[in-house]
Amino acid sequence: MLFWVIAAILTLGASLAVLLPLAGGPKGGSASSDHDLEVYRDQLSELDRDVARGLIQPAEAEEARAEIARRILRLDNAADKAAARPSMATRLVATAAVLAVPLVSWGLYSQLGSPDLPSQPLSERLAKNPADSSVDELVARAEAHLAANPSDGRGWDVLAPIYLRMQRFSDAVTAYRNAIRLDGDSAARQAGLGEAIASEAGGIVSSDAQAAFEAALKLDPSNPKASFYLAMSMAQEGRIEEATIGWQKMLAALPQDSPWRGAVEQALAESARRSVASGVPAKGPNAGDVDAAASMSPQDREAMINTMVAGLDEKLRQNPRDVEGWMQLIRSYVVLGKADQARDALNRGIAVFGPDSDEAKKFTAFAVSLGLTATE
Amino acid sequence: MVETGHFALVLAFALSLVQALVPLFGARINSQKMMAVGGPVAVTGFALTALSFAALATAYATSDFSVANVWDNSHSLQPLIYKITGTWGNHEGSMLLWVLILSFFGALVAAFGSNLPATLRANVLAVQGAIGATFLLFILATSNPFARLNPAPIEGRDLNPILQDLGLAIHPPLLYLGYVGFSICFSFSVAALIEGRIDASWARWVRPWTLVAWMFLTGGIAMGSYWAYYELGWGGFWFWDPVENASFMPWLAGTALLHSAIVMEKRSALKIWTLLLAILTFSLSLLGTFLVRSGVLTSVHAFATDPTRGVFILCILTLFIGGSLALFAFRASRLTAGGLFHPISREGALVLNNLFLTTATATVLIGTLYPLVVEAVSADKISVGAPFFNLTFGPLMVPLLVAVPFGPLLAWKRGDIFAVAQRLMAAFAAALLAVLVTALFIDGSSVFAALGVGLAFWLICGALTDIAVKSGLGSVAPGVMLSRFAGLPRSVFGTALAHLGLGLTTLGIVGTLCFGTEKILSMRAGETVQLSGHTLRFEGLYPAQGPNYSEDRGRFALLGADGSTTAVITSSKRSYPVRQMTTTESGIKTIGFSQLYLSLGDEATDGSVVVRLWWKPLVTLIWGGALVMMAGAAMSLMDRRLRVGAPSRRRRSAGAMPSASLP
Repeated sequence: MLFWVIAAILTLGASLAVLLPLAGGPKGGSASSDHDLEVYRDQLSELDRDVARGLIQPAEAEEARAEIARRILRLDNAADKAAARPSMATRLVATAAVLAVPLVSWGLYSQLGSPDLPSQPLSERLAKNPADSSVDELVARAEAHLAANPSDGRGWDVLAPIYLRMQRFSDAVTAYRNAIRLDGDSAARQAGLGEAIASEAGGIVSSDAQAAFEAALKLDPSNPKASFYLAMSMAQEGRIEEATIGWQKMLAALPQDSPWRGAVEQALAESARRSVASGVPAKGPNAGDVDAAASMSPQDREAMINTMVAGLDEKLRQNPRDVEGWMQLIRSYVVLGKADQARDALNRGIAVFGPDSDEAKKFTAFAVSLGLTATE
Repeated sequence: MVETGHFALVLAFALSLVQALVPLFGARINSQKMMAVGGPVAVTGFALTALSFAALATAYATSDFSVANVWDNSHSLQPLIYKITGTWGNHEGSMLLWVLILSFFGALVAAFGSNLPATLRANVLAVQGAIGATFLLFILATSNPFARLNPAPIEGRDLNPILQDLGLAIHPPLLYLGYVGFSICFSFSVAALIEGRIDASWARWVRPWTLVAWMFLTGGIAMGSYWAYYELGWGGFWFWDPVENASFMPWLAGTALLHSAIVMEKRSALKIWTLLLAILTFSLSLLGTFLVRSGVLTSVHAFATDPTRGVFILCILTLFIGGSLALFAFRASRLTAGGLFHPISREGALVLNNLFLTTATATVLIGTLYPLVVEAVSADKISVGAPFFNLTFGPLMVPLLVAVPFGPLLAWKRGDIFAVAQRLMAAFAAALLAVLVTALFIDGSSVFAALGVGLAFWLICGALTDIAVKSGLGSVAPGVMLSRFAGLPRSVFGTALAHLGLGLTTLGIVGTLCFGTEKILSMRAGETVQLSGHTLRFEGLYPAQGPNYSEDRGRFALLGADGSTTAVITSSKRSYPVRQMTTTESGIKTIGFSQLYLSLGDEATDGSVVVRLWWKPLVTLIWGGALVMMAGAAMSLMDRRLRVGAPSRRRRSAGAMPSASLP
């Protein structure tokens, strides 16, 4: 409402700026020849000053004076054209001009503006009743609090899982680290940290994440999150049997109503499918291939796997900038026991992205985790 | 508040339409009432634009992320000063600033233009209104800073880190004051062309505006150059980057305009040429504003690129540049030419200045646009870099600089070059001495360096000679001289100061380019390095936390002769997490007019850091000279002569002094 009042006042003011001069009494404007004469007089007196200072020679000054005098004589002494009488056309223009201001402005604003949207300064949004705030606003409030009190471990502890749920993984990592640093270790914090690190890497359980999960298990051997992810890391390295054992153990120990049961059962089903194709990741073969592999003799199965790995190898030769592909290939060769080819794949992958690239570092770390070293 | 600003902007657009059309129509049919509309409308339009800008700045200061522009260019953790400067640290906001300054200048003409002939004033305001209307339409249609987000995000995306700097707070407003200041000269020119006559007061009005615009543009370019010098961490002060050229071209053309306007004002000569220059200067300003924004040029100003706006921009450029030049072609023949002069005279010297400056402008224009044309025609990407400009721009500037001291000493209409040369003997001797001292005692390896220093001293001493001769040094008694000195018009001091500043800048450039040294090396904590007689010890890297960034500070101790620390220089690498960008903050220690400049490179795994070191002799004179030039312009502006009397008022109070009515 206030906005509309202000808008109306502004429009009124702007319209008056147009209307008043048009409606005012007649004004006697000075003829432009008067202005010119003023300037020429000034030029003449300046010429005298210049002569006095020696900036112009007397002879030239005379000449210049004559020039100015000629200009004065040439001045159009006839009065300027008589002021136009207000004709029909003039009135029309005046009316159109006055009307244009409100019409153009309100017309355009109705297209462009969002009159119902109030200003939302951040401080105001953060100061309102928490019950009315969105999660984003609550998080921002907590962030503001932590920016002022960075050593409040409990604050970090509360915020960390929220970050994780909001998919702000790097913030979650920082928050968990701060919570651990300030409030000490706990299984939940270490497991959360591991999950945040893994999520940040797109689900790959890196050695950092593994360390965190292991720390969590040390504090609480039955921590389900840590057990689950550690088994996952084995599965990612191709040690599917160990992973299956891990998950099965976990399933046995979990209480009936644990929310983890579903995830573990799903992971077990997945690893059962993958163990059939032994080592070749789920992404590679399609369901038909897997079914076919299940009904093959061991020799045929190995031949098929070799073909698929060779296919992947060939694909990477044509399409080398595929980070996941390289890691699959390296893992496949390791699983097939072809260490030389795995090493060759590693070196080629590194060569594609350059030895100093992040990808190369990732490959090397990955290879080391599989028990492979880069060059002989 | 946000929507009030939005509405005020729309209303300002409506008013600018009225301002563009009604006074123009009034001037044609000679209706006093309609012509009178221009003034109040221009002032009201400025007030509304200011309100709109204030609303946007408030949204920035209070981190109102419901405004898309704020969300895109601000962050709640930024220090307040950078929240506010972020208002114009982006395309939309900077366009609003542009229009704000445009309407401010229009309002000044309206407020102080009572001594102008009514039709001229009406036409000037109409042209100014037309420019304003076009830009407001551009803002509202393609770059609306008041676009809203609902629901509002809780955190912004941060201002580009390299723009989070005080230099940015000052550089664009100064530059825009310069660019837009020339719009007034443009409006006066177009108004004169529309009327088909040039009033005698025309030049008296245009010259101060040119001075104001030129002063701010000089400051803007110098500030931009200094900002690039310390913020980008490359240690260079001028890169012949297209965006720099874009601001340099209007400066060159503006400098030419400044000088031709003197001739026009004093002698009523060069009228048509001055008119054309005014049009060209503002056209180059427009080009400067938009070349950066159209997306054709990529540079450090990358925040402004958006190809979708290109077409609109092209239309604006065609409308104003093409339209005004076409108008010029049709109407120029109706204008009467002015006073006569001999080739060797003050007028002749100023014409020479114009020839060189416009040719230099053309050179820079070609060097800037040629790569674009080649790319458009043949899809080849070529780059015209410093070598091109050094080969073309340099040789054009040297004769001009040599000629500079002669100009102010020549008499009007007919001058005596030999007499002037005699008066300049002392300056010449000083320059020669500088050349010899440089070649024999400082660095004899480069003839160009010695000659460059000589040129700089020639300019400096020439400017001083000007003052000395005009005060009557050597020809009158000291007492008379002193009183003459005190009685010299301000514009004489202005000229001398500006030329002196030019000399200082030249000295700074020559000093830095010819005598500077640099070193790139890998250093560990505790190691020392020698550069041009200065010893620096690297103390190590220290992490630190800023409000919205974290940084590694490299501390360097400048050691005195006895090995004690005389100063600490800090250079840091900052990392801004929101934009995932790093910036280098260079460490600078000013010693006299020279600077020791160092910037941190990458850290190696063994703990050593790549350090780049420069010794830049006399480098501060480059920008100091620009400041002196600005002071010269300011001094000139204070000259009584530039104040034009208003006949109507004068009739009322007969005999009164011409009223002071300078913007």
